[in-house]
Amino acid sequence: MESLIIDQLKRERIIELLKSGKRIDGRSLDEQRPLQIETGVIPKANGSARIKLGNTEVITGVKIQPDKPFPDLGDKGILICTAEILPLADPHVEPGPPTEDVIELARVVDRGIRETEMIDLHQLVLIEDKSVIGIFIDSSVIDADGNLFDACSYASVAALLSCTVPKYEVKDDIPSLVEGVTSKPPVTTLPISVTMARIGDYIIVDPTSEEEACMDARMTITTNSAGNICALQKGGSEGFTPEQLIQCSEIALQVGTKIRKQFEQLK
Amino acid sequence: MMDVKRRYVIPGDIIATGPIRPEQNVYQDGEKMISTCVGISEIFENSVRVIPLTGAYMPKTNDLVIGKVVGTSPLSWEFDINSCYIGFLPAQDVFGRDYSPTKDELKQRLDIGDLVAARVANFDRSRDPLLTVQDRDLGKIDSGELIEISPSKVPRLIGKRGSMIQTIEMATRAVITIGQNGWIVVSCDDSEGLLKAVEAIKMVDALAHTPNLTERVKSMLGVPAGENNDTIND
Repeated sequence: MESLIIDQLKRERIIELLKSGKRIDGRSLDEQRPLQIETGVIPKANGSARIKLGNTEVITGVKIQPDKPFPDLGDKGILICTAEILPLADPHVEPGPPTEDVIELARVVDRGIRETEMIDLHQLVLIEDKSVIGIFIDSSVIDADGNLFDACSYASVAALLSCTVPKYEVKDDIPSLVEGVTSKPPVTTLPISVTMARIGDYIIVDPTSEEEACMDARMTITTNSAGNICALQKGGSEGFTPEQLIQCSEIALQVGTKIRKQFEQLK
Repeated sequence: MMDVKRRYVIPGDIIATGPIRPEQNVYQDGEKMISTCVGISEIFENSVRVIPLTGAYMPKTNDLVIGKVVGTSPLSWEFDINSCYIGFLPAQDVFGRDYSPTKDELKQRLDIGDLVAARVANFDRSRDPLLTVQDRDLGKIDSGELIEISPSKVPRLIGKRGSMIQTIEMATRAVITIGQNGWIVVSCDDSEGLLKAVEAIKMVDALAHTPNLTERVKSMLGVPAGENNDTIND
């Protein structure tokens, strides 16, 4: 995805406003855009969600089906996250193989869910080393206005929370679907990712695409319900000082707690 | 004024039939005149045209546009002019005839992201539009705020004989540079005036197709109605 080139006047304005603790859309530095969550939007999927984070919009579907486990992880179910930015989401997106940014997006979302151990994958084993249940989470960005990491992460978590796991019985080593019997997924915690951008000395939460166009560095921190940092991704060409990193982790915990309340209602 | 029949049309709508001349955004199929875009059709005595409600900017020679530098090559700058075409500004236009790619650095004059007021010097659809800054009031824009509106609403923002833009400029004391490509730079010393001007421009963009717009903009800006007597209400 070729990124937005922001005009010099707007860049100066964004930086000027930050000095007085304001942002171009009127938010405070550690304020997220309004988050709307809607679940059950794809009737044929096992679970789905559509979220709006300001003008960014993501739709996610969850598919659950029996699969062979990975050779080294025979005692765990499969969890795979993918992401895609549709060409209609942004003028700079072209159809074709996924770019570096999209691969990073999918990996950060996957890491957040995997490393917080949101889903107890041990409970998804049908026959150890032979057959397990696989959860496939596919996110599509349908409107891109910055902070796709959080938007895709929230949509994936909401879709997982709303999904139902079909029951499979094993006969002669072959899993077969038991019609009409479903259960809730084995959710253990709620991963909430918080993405921050550094513009000069200022750390802002949930950057829009305009703010992303003038940021120096980016940090995504995923925390679990117990308030532990479980996953972290740094982006952008420049770095963070140790003090800024500590500040980022504090913001991630603080903002994450607020967002988590919205997700707890979905449980 | 001539008797003009107006109505809303969508692509494929038959606007009129008979021996009549198709103009902007209209094509002829036998005797039928068919719209090619969403807009308001206007049937004149011997011609028919559609004023689009939305659409991209199509460059025209002599148009004033506001462009954003998106790239450079050894001999020219490339501009985003809010169109399907990329605008080209030759280095010689800025550095003069003795420009030398080995000696002069383009980015010292105009860097990526800079906004420039330019005029379309030449364009014929087979090549990308050629821009020029060789005129009064053209060149790099150093201050102000960029607002984007639909290029098809630009004539409405200017108004008949510039009435709308004069109203906004007088009421807010802002200086407004309108590019035909729908990009507008507003600068004002007073931040409240700037906000008001921006709000008025956005209002014109949203309500361009509605009647009595000048009056409504005036009441929004707090200008007494009828102060600017040469304003023509539509």
